[in-house]
Amino acid sequence: MKNLAHDLSKLIGDDSVKSEPEDLLAYTSDATHDHAAETPNLVVLPNRVSDVSKVLKFASRYEIPVTPRGAGSGLAGGSTPIQKGIVLDMKRMNAIIEINRGNMTAVVESGVVLGQFHRSVEGQNLFYPPDPQSMSVCTIGGNIATRAGGPRGVKYGTTGNYVLGLEVVLPDGDIINTGGTCVKFSAGYDLTHLFTGAEGTLGVITKANLRLIPLPKCHQTVIVSCVTAEQAATLVSEIIANGIVPAKIEYLTRSAIGLLNQYLTVGLPPEGEAYLFIDLDGEMDQIKKEMKHIKEICSDMAVIEVRVVEDEKESASYWKARSNLYPALVSAMKKIIIEDVTVPRDQLPEFARSISEISRESGLMIDISGHAGDGNFHPTIMLKEINPEIEKIAQEAAEAVIKCALRLGGGISGEHGIGIHKARFSAIQLGDRQIALQQQIKKAIDPLGIMNPGKIWLES
Amino acid sequence: MNIKDLSSYRDILDKCSHCSFCQSTCPVYTESLLETYVARSRADLIKAVFMDKTMPVTDRVKEIVDRCLLCTNCQQTCPASIPIPELVINARYQIYEGKRLDFSRRLVLKQLMKKRGLKGIWSLAGKVGKKIGMTPEELPDFPPKTFEMLYPPKKYTVKGKPRVRVAYYVGCGTNGMYPDTGVAVMKVLKHNGIEVILPKGMVCCGLPALGEGDINLAKAMMVKNIQILSTLDVDAIITDCTSCGLVLKSKMLSVLDPEDSIYPKAQAVADKIYEVSDYLNKTGLSQKPEPKNWKYSYHVPCHRDWSPDLIDAPLDLLNSADLKEYRALNDPQKCCGAGGSFFTEYKTVAQNIRAPKLEDINNNEAEMLITQCPLCRMYLSHGLPKGKKVIHPIQLLAQAYGF
Repeated sequence: MKNLAHDLSKLIGDDSVKSEPEDLLAYTSDATHDHAAETPNLVVLPNRVSDVSKVLKFASRYEIPVTPRGAGSGLAGGSTPIQKGIVLDMKRMNAIIEINRGNMTAVVESGVVLGQFHRSVEGQNLFYPPDPQSMSVCTIGGNIATRAGGPRGVKYGTTGNYVLGLEVVLPDGDIINTGGTCVKFSAGYDLTHLFTGAEGTLGVITKANLRLIPLPKCHQTVIVSCVTAEQAATLVSEIIANGIVPAKIEYLTRSAIGLLNQYLTVGLPPEGEAYLFIDLDGEMDQIKKEMKHIKEICSDMAVIEVRVVEDEKESASYWKARSNLYPALVSAMKKIIIEDVTVPRDQLPEFARSISEISRESGLMIDISGHAGDGNFHPTIMLKEINPEIEKIAQEAAEAVIKCALRLGGGISGEHGIGIHKARFSAIQLGDRQIALQQQIKKAIDPLGIMNPGKIWLES
Repeated sequence: MNIKDLSSYRDILDKCSHCSFCQSTCPVYTESLLETYVARSRADLIKAVFMDKTMPVTDRVKEIVDRCLLCTNCQQTCPASIPIPELVINARYQIYEGKRLDFSRRLVLKQLMKKRGLKGIWSLAGKVGKKIGMTPEELPDFPPKTFEMLYPPKKYTVKGKPRVRVAYYVGCGTNGMYPDTGVAVMKVLKHNGIEVILPKGMVCCGLPALGEGDINLAKAMMVKNIQILSTLDVDAIITDCTSCGLVLKSKMLSVLDPEDSIYPKAQAVADKIYEVSDYLNKTGLSQKPEPKNWKYSYHVPCHRDWSPDLIDAPLDLLNSADLKEYRALNDPQKCCGAGGSFFTEYKTVAQNIRAPKLEDINNNEAEMLITQCPLCRMYLSHGLPKGKKVIHPIQLLAQAYGF
């Protein structure tokens, strides 16, 4: 691979090509807790779209697999190189090219860190709602590639809802611009949203035109401690059914709160079985009305406590704690398996019941904390010890969780994408005909199969 | 966990979820945007090379281990608080066995750490060092008198009954480079009815040696300080330097063996350690200066998480003293890039880390920037245009009193 490194260095510069084993080690894994990964042959860090184009042309010529990568914070193994080759680290392409108030749009390079983009637009009283909990590090390119979302999905949708156009480098090195910067676009197939969510299997996203909205003037957090998991789930359905659309409704279990209390400035009553972290945003009088309504619903259901948070620092501590949930779960356990299923929100109580059933039958702890407001849960199988037998039971439990979501009319992934972690479930979700169709599309755009191979579907 | 024994870190390393949140605050990673330098990758590498021994010690390994500021931002960001800086110190210890610097530099460092009380040695060493190109250009000319020459070690009483009695641990930065900080601290404490003991025989806190991976030398310094500090009958031990504080409050306990007879004494010392503005907030000011409308900004040193109230302590103190015109930087906690001797070893990297900080300070309307760390003060002062001034928060308070 020395020659490969040498040739690529000549094309795009020494500092953009890394081939020493110590560097390659850093690019072998992402944040997915358990999966097989291969050490790449090379790491390439492009600075501009022409670099990407040159790398892909080169890779096409020699049929070298290319795995695009943002922050490597994904939870499905989407950015790990399972067939070696080149890892394309996009984080140096991190310019915010334009924030256009008059058109309420922004143009960014794909390596822009989401949290930094949030700060930039919010500084101008504009709002880009998608909020995956890794937002302090994850990149907008990675968000687009996985259709990432977060707590605000309930009111504002996910990344896909904000992408108006893309600059994409195709596997042969050609550069295309899909969509545009206008709110409406109706010319031809919607390639913008084909590359959105394609997890880097069709090309490399280098630039994005994003839709912005006005920053909500106020927000208020309310924390509801519920007697049972079912009560919390029912409460979510009730809030939705009553026409209230909070910015966030997060569902947290007792065991999750046990882990997160260390991050909270004011602890929560320990006797709850489940907790809802709710955030309302908009105009203050509307928030007050909705808050009153939520309190009434809670009071009818006799929850343990409704805590309306007045202090901004305290409020921030709940959301900071929430974003630390995944690392905190990993820290507390020997191993975890995290899923990303969705269910229709009126099915939440039934879903909560079924998961506790699976937990009981398998004898495994399953935490179901997640973005309940949009029906996206992260059932997490928590293993205090590991041995082949327990791992087998855990895999069966994971499968049962996914099948349960599908039975209730939901899906296998709400926001993490499929990667390799859920590739074995794609066929169940999509069916053979759709898989075949998707593979035909893949073949049409990436005939050599160099783009992020081995992801989304199992190789047949 | 003991800093000499890497295997004692295995359990905490298992808690790394690979979330990569450390990318958000590592100055060295942010400068190059190469994941190799981020804490999760450092942890994986150190594990592979030094624990599992599946990879050899190469020049690249050395470079990765050296290219770290030991700023602790990764640990502060980590949801599992994994002490990556301690792993890096251990790796340097294993690679260099205390000999990361060449012989002559090592000798100078050792002498400075041990014999800083000798009259004029700092000033002289600074001059000689500059002449032979051994000390970096960023260092200011050391004042002719060290703090210890201005305030010799002894008890400094107050009129009437003292409110409290403290020992003041004076670090090397204040003693040799910025005695004005120490002078301000002494005057402010006295004015507020606080009796101060300046203990005799204090040596460096040991952090520069830890940075070199010279754990044994660091330990020798720590033991010497503990033996003296632990015998004092005081309510608290204060320091004006956040890095000395980090060592005395926490790192000391990772360096010393819990089985060692000195350990309980170290723990007793650690229990009494406060950063000076944090301590003054706890006791409250007995005398308040006239309100002032001086504008000031605040650079929060990286070594800031060893006490829960430390980050806001200078602001709370100055606010309570009616210095209310604080003008926050856009990113007060962003690292200045100095990092011990890092700014001399990786000059360009350090300057690149410093650049956005300088821009932030330059764009701020305040002319005065406060920070507790003498190294931050030195490195930022060197990069700032005339007119902008970096001082210790207690100096600003002392000025408000009219001292």
